[in-house]
Amino acid sequence: MILKSANGELITTEYVLPPDNRAAVSSKRSSMETPVIDITDLSKYYGKTRGIEHVNLEIGEGEIFGFIGPNGAGKSTTIRILMNLIFQTGGTARIMGMDVIKETKKIKKISGYIPSDAGLYSSMDALEFFRYCIRFYQVKNGDQRINELAQMFDVDLTRKVSDLSMGNRKKVSIIQSLLHNPKLLILDEPTTGLDPLMQSNFFELLRSENRKGMTIFFSSHILGEVQKLCKRVAIIKEGRIIQVEDIETLRKKQLKKVFIEFNGRVKKEDLIIPGIEGEIGGSDNIQSFIYSGDINMLVGFLSRYTIINLMIEEPSLEEIFMHYYK
Amino acid sequence: MTGKMNRNLFLMEIKRNTLSLTVWMIAITVLVSVTMAVYPVFLENQSKILGMMSLIPDELLQFKGISDFSDFLSVLGFYSVNNIIYMMVLGSIYAIVLSSGILLKEEYNKTAEYLLTRPLTRSEIFLSKLAVLFINVFLLNFVTALAGFICLELVRNTPFSTGAFLILSLYTLLLNILFGAVGLFMSTLVRRARPITTLSIGLVLILYFIFTLSKITEGISRIGYLSPFRYVKTNATSPDYSLDFWHLLYFIGISLLLIGLSYRLYIRKDIYT
Repeated sequence: MILKSANGELITTEYVLPPDNRAAVSSKRSSMETPVIDITDLSKYYGKTRGIEHVNLEIGEGEIFGFIGPNGAGKSTTIRILMNLIFQTGGTARIMGMDVIKETKKIKKISGYIPSDAGLYSSMDALEFFRYCIRFYQVKNGDQRINELAQMFDVDLTRKVSDLSMGNRKKVSIIQSLLHNPKLLILDEPTTGLDPLMQSNFFELLRSENRKGMTIFFSSHILGEVQKLCKRVAIIKEGRIIQVEDIETLRKKQLKKVFIEFNGRVKKEDLIIPGIEGEIGGSDNIQSFIYSGDINMLVGFLSRYTIINLMIEEPSLEEIFMHYYK
Repeated sequence: MTGKMNRNLFLMEIKRNTLSLTVWMIAITVLVSVTMAVYPVFLENQSKILGMMSLIPDELLQFKGISDFSDFLSVLGFYSVNNIIYMMVLGSIYAIVLSSGILLKEEYNKTAEYLLTRPLTRSEIFLSKLAVLFINVFLLNFVTALAGFICLELVRNTPFSTGAFLILSLYTLLLNILFGAVGLFMSTLVRRARPITTLSIGLVLILYFIFTLSKITEGISRIGYLSPFRYVKTNATSPDYSLDFWHLLYFIGISLLLIGLSYRLYIRKDIYT
């Protein structure tokens, strides 16, 4: 496979999907001191249905670690085991050296969690909810902390949580996870419902908290947001970790989905452009493909044709899996 | 069972359940008071009413819990016969509705994601909620029994046995607690988060129906032993009315067993929302 790095250098790589990630995917970092999250051979079955299988993962202190995979891949299952909402079928999971089952109380004192989809106590207003949450921790000046975060996220503390929009509910969820200044923040699809501006503020806050030492475990099915924020990423598919990579390496393999509508018929065979991954799809005058090369080179090549429409967008994870990881 | 309660959770649960407890207390108190207000009228017209009642088939009277007309004439007998449905059936419905939802509502309202990620053990969550269940069931029984006692004092024309009244009230409390334990146990068996309120209410009504049916139908009298109502002695006017040891053991034993099982199941339960 030929890839092009950010500085235009061509890189040749080979990737073969491992038959068993336990052996092939080096998701454990050998030189790491006590990892903040240490998952060993973790499996969960719902009856006979697979949740996750033999997941191994180590996340170091101060990392912003991305956890990415399509819906149903096992991201939430892994996180729910870490938060002791569900129990694993096999393997172990430790947070800061503590077992997630036996020492769950200690773990939860120092960790925050943003669920992907959670309800709120409908009878409470936002302030009551935050006060209820913060009383579980020994936080000095709790109201001050609540006000700071509410101001930052523009949340009206007097509103009943049942009256809040989806975006505002998500903000409430984010705030409750940060009230006690956790050392580890676990986020399960945290940006759903947030508008782009708030998303950007949220990412800035996460970066700022990370600079102060917070470790962040960020699960998402959107590659773009993981790329923006994370330093390392694990890709999970069908319950198994298929790759753990530095985000820089992933960036070098940056993929785009390209749609071109030509003015007239253009044969697929004529589109000899370095960086096209896999098959070219489409009909006589509309072609689409996954592209990993230099956009300038692509545009330069296409300039010889009359083009009605050109769209370059981020491929879905499914498309990446289909075109890149097979 | 190890661990302790969490004060914050306990107080929040008390607060969340106050309105419903108040409504149930008022409803049962009103029903008991209105029924007892009829007693003086009943006494004034006892010959007419007893004459009318003699026309009612025995089975139907037994269905109402009346085995002897003389039960009906004493104030405690009147209270026991007429209020059993309020104090025992409605109290049990309250207890089972509360208990079947107290843990499960966090799952079907999707708030478990917040509660279970606080620095709490499952044991602390269970014990805090169990304490709220006990307190609420006790308060409902205390207030309604107190209202009943005041009514008895207000309408009585002859003295009644306070001891018998207390035993009857204790039976009611034990029955309510038993149904509370049943609701808790059922809720820990539920895999996918959804309310089981209808099922819980249905169970109380079915068990009450089984009990009454077994009383009026000779052939199926044994089936009545399946119902906890069977183990409540309601003949409070009887001279040898007392707390039966085996019945006491039955209520306490089954309640403790179900609570213990619920605890074991809950601390290892996969929580889905």
